[in-house]
Amino acid sequence: MKQRLTYLLPANSSLAPSDLSVKADRLDFAKAPQAHEEWRVTLGLHELPDELKLFLVGCQELHLRWSSRRPHVLTPPLVSRLPAGLHVFLTPSGVEDDLPICNLLKKLVGDESKCDSVHESFARLPAVSESPAQPATFQWYQNSSIRREGLAEVFLGKICPPSSANSDWGRACDSLIRTLDDASHVDVDFDAAGQTLDFTAYWSAEDDAVSRESSGRVYRKAGPEGRLEVGVLHAEEAKDSGELSLGGYLTVIGEDERPSATLFSFPSRHHPLPPTSAGATFKTTIQHPSGLHPKLHLHLPRQPLTQRPQETCTLHTYLTLPSTLFIDRFQLSDRLFLDSQNLVSLQSLIGEDDLEAPDWVIRRWGSAALVELAAPGAGLDGEGEMWTATIPLHLRYLSPLLSDVGTDSTAGVQIPWPIVFWACEVEDAELNLDNNPFDRVDLGFDGLFTPQTLFYHVPPAGDAMRLVEEIQVPVLRADSAGLVQIGIFLAVVGGFAWICWQLARAVDNGKGKGKKRR
Amino acid sequence: MSLTTAFFSRPSLLFGAAILLRLALLFYGRWQDANSPMKYTDIDYLVFTDASRFISQGQSPYDRATYRYTPLLAWLLYPTTLTHSALAIPASVWFDFGKVLFAAGDIVTGWLILRLLVEKQGMGVERAGKFTSLWLLNPMVANISTRGSSEGLLAVIVVAILWAVLLGRLRLAGVLLGLGVHFKIYPFIYAASVWWWLGDGAKRVRIGKKGLVEWVGAVLTKERRALALDSLVTFMVLNSVMFYFYGVPFFEHSYRYHLTRIDHRHNFSVYNTVLYLNSAKAANSGFQIESLAFIPQMFLSVLVLPYFLAKKDLASTMLAQTFAFVTFNKVCTSQYFLWYMVFLPFYLPSSSLLRKPRLGVFALVLWSLGQAIWLQQGYQLEFLGRSTFVPGLWLASIFFFAVNCWILGIIVSDVASLPSPPAGKKIE
Repeated sequence: MKQRLTYLLPANSSLAPSDLSVKADRLDFAKAPQAHEEWRVTLGLHELPDELKLFLVGCQELHLRWSSRRPHVLTPPLVSRLPAGLHVFLTPSGVEDDLPICNLLKKLVGDESKCDSVHESFARLPAVSESPAQPATFQWYQNSSIRREGLAEVFLGKICPPSSANSDWGRACDSLIRTLDDASHVDVDFDAAGQTLDFTAYWSAEDDAVSRESSGRVYRKAGPEGRLEVGVLHAEEAKDSGELSLGGYLTVIGEDERPSATLFSFPSRHHPLPPTSAGATFKTTIQHPSGLHPKLHLHLPRQPLTQRPQETCTLHTYLTLPSTLFIDRFQLSDRLFLDSQNLVSLQSLIGEDDLEAPDWVIRRWGSAALVELAAPGAGLDGEGEMWTATIPLHLRYLSPLLSDVGTDSTAGVQIPWPIVFWACEVEDAELNLDNNPFDRVDLGFDGLFTPQTLFYHVPPAGDAMRLVEEIQVPVLRADSAGLVQIGIFLAVVGGFAWICWQLARAVDNGKGKGKKRR
Repeated sequence: MSLTTAFFSRPSLLFGAAILLRLALLFYGRWQDANSPMKYTDIDYLVFTDASRFISQGQSPYDRATYRYTPLLAWLLYPTTLTHSALAIPASVWFDFGKVLFAAGDIVTGWLILRLLVEKQGMGVERAGKFTSLWLLNPMVANISTRGSSEGLLAVIVVAILWAVLLGRLRLAGVLLGLGVHFKIYPFIYAASVWWWLGDGAKRVRIGKKGLVEWVGAVLTKERRALALDSLVTFMVLNSVMFYFYGVPFFEHSYRYHLTRIDHRHNFSVYNTVLYLNSAKAANSGFQIESLAFIPQMFLSVLVLPYFLAKKDLASTMLAQTFAFVTFNKVCTSQYFLWYMVFLPFYLPSSSLLRKPRLGVFALVLWSLGQAIWLQQGYQLEFLGRSTFVPGLWLASIFFFAVNCWILGIIVSDVASLPSPPAGKKIE
């Protein structure tokens, strides 16, 4: 078991060796409350719970990415984002394999999730290579909070068993699990080639600076065999574009007596916005009234958008939608319509795209879309400070409401905020983006670009309450079923009888006339 | 001679106006599509033309999601896929070929209506022109065709069936009937009325007196045999060809989908609310009235109305049948109204709706009001997000249904009250 703990301080923070104090099995950092924390634990297969171990035998790759719905500040080099919720990317090792992942996922997000099996409930991602022998990758998503007990049980059950709470490591482990709810994001990455599983949690400083003392997160080396490496770092100005620079101190607990100063640079896939457009954020709203065709607006300040990070950059948004909503790819194919919504094109739509089916027959989780936005050009003054792009969505009919659920005839549907970023293809073949200790790949949208693409992420507005919008959707109430059926039954019988009677009367009259004539 | 008399007594003027109306709408549609994100062109037209494009690339029209029609339609619209100018017509104009075809269908339909009114109902040209204009100058009809909805094509097939039958061209009628059913299923109801309209041998010969063979022989008159055989052969040949080229998806989308679809999204049908309610429930959970919806629908449109009315007036019977079919259907949108509107010029001249203008106006007002109330509730649901399913849409659809039943009662009573024509003089 290897642990890597990274404290990330805001750029230009003052940092002195005296802030760090190295102990036998831990490092005390005086400025920890101001720092963002990334905790990564790397586990061998033998350190995983049996159920997970059995499951991973059938996996070539597994990536779970959970992102909090609370707005959070990210700091370089960890600036990549995903819409709030749990994103799963699974590559089975066999082409036809249908792995029992739903049992596992239901422990994380609850039994009511739309997950029956990989083939029925997951979306197949477009193949990267044409080779049929290459197994496909499947995507699943649910917009919900994650159960920390489930996370701990499924992934950390063996190294942090509930019974170990009386040892030093056990208490440390427990403190980390208890605060998983406060994390901005949690990643689980497994790759059959490496035969190891990485569990990564990121806590943003702003998220819990106040509660830090009480939450009492403690990091410790796990016994003599465990390894704990602690970095205390902050961003420095990078020399080359496409690179990030970090300075600070690195310490391997139990080996180093004092922290060693470091300054290093590496190419990075994910970047914060460059200084020219720094401070730009985006806001998501749903047009009111939303009706059955909600319009999702993305609001961005116009001026910073005119400054592309690089010449080749294009502005994109990546949405993940629950099965209750869908995007009509045909609607997003008309040039004039796209222009009027400030969109360039729908570049990818995977998952459930049926235009007619109601929600109760949909067995897939929903859909994910990548849309290129028509970023405003420079020199267009006087068009208002804010720029808005609109993604037209459509609602499926929802199952009639059960009679014991309140008195409303509407149901809430949550729409997670999408993410917004510039994507910039780089020509520089020298830039090895994989050579990054903080690299984050397999996010869903990155695979839709060439491998040599840089992403500059636009953060969501800081004043947002949460990164999810909720709309009220009209639904039929099931408790009126009796009255509804009786009304329709009487109407049909009545209408039918009226027509038959009119016919019979007229036919009878005709016969009468005929007889008289005869 | 007043201006209106001059207009209606000259078919060239009437048809000229109908063509001009459609041309104007076609050009307006091109302008709106090119300049506004709100399109004039119907979504369905994009589905048709996408399907044509798939065909032109050697693929199946069913590769286009929501293409639920015969491949014949996609083939008919093949010219819309031209990417270069041909016959000195630029490609962008060729894209409108389908709309032109559908609009031309309207015009041919009008021509058939006029001829039938003049030649078969013995109406003067001016009066016939007025009734024909109910179709030709109807803005709803012109609008639907020029937006690219294929109903106009169906109308021409259906009126051509009537025309062929009344002119005694039964083989042609059979072929058209087979084609019509292949195109949109519902014209099968006309088989019943045409069947009853043809001959009445069954009445004269009774089983028991002369035996079963003679009875069957008497029922299966030459005309009926021709109709049945030709329609069946046409229908099956078309199906076989389509199945040969496009396989199971053809049956799936062209037939099975339409027969088994449960349209839960709000529409004019009286059954709509209960369909939404019950389609979400597990199957076989108790009594579901919509599973019996076909009984009143088929009883009226295929059995009773053809049996009692067909011999009085075939065209009006077809109107009553279609009206019953649409009114009692589980799905109903405003395009379905075109299906019966095309027969109005035949029925109205002898109807009590025209004899008693107050009744006619009242019926028209109620029919429009029923739709308006429903549309108002539907708007609140669709665009304002108000949950108007119950009671709003539920009551509105019941009201509209009741209005339709009342009107159908008048139509049925009118047609049944017509004197029976003397036997044996129908086919000339």
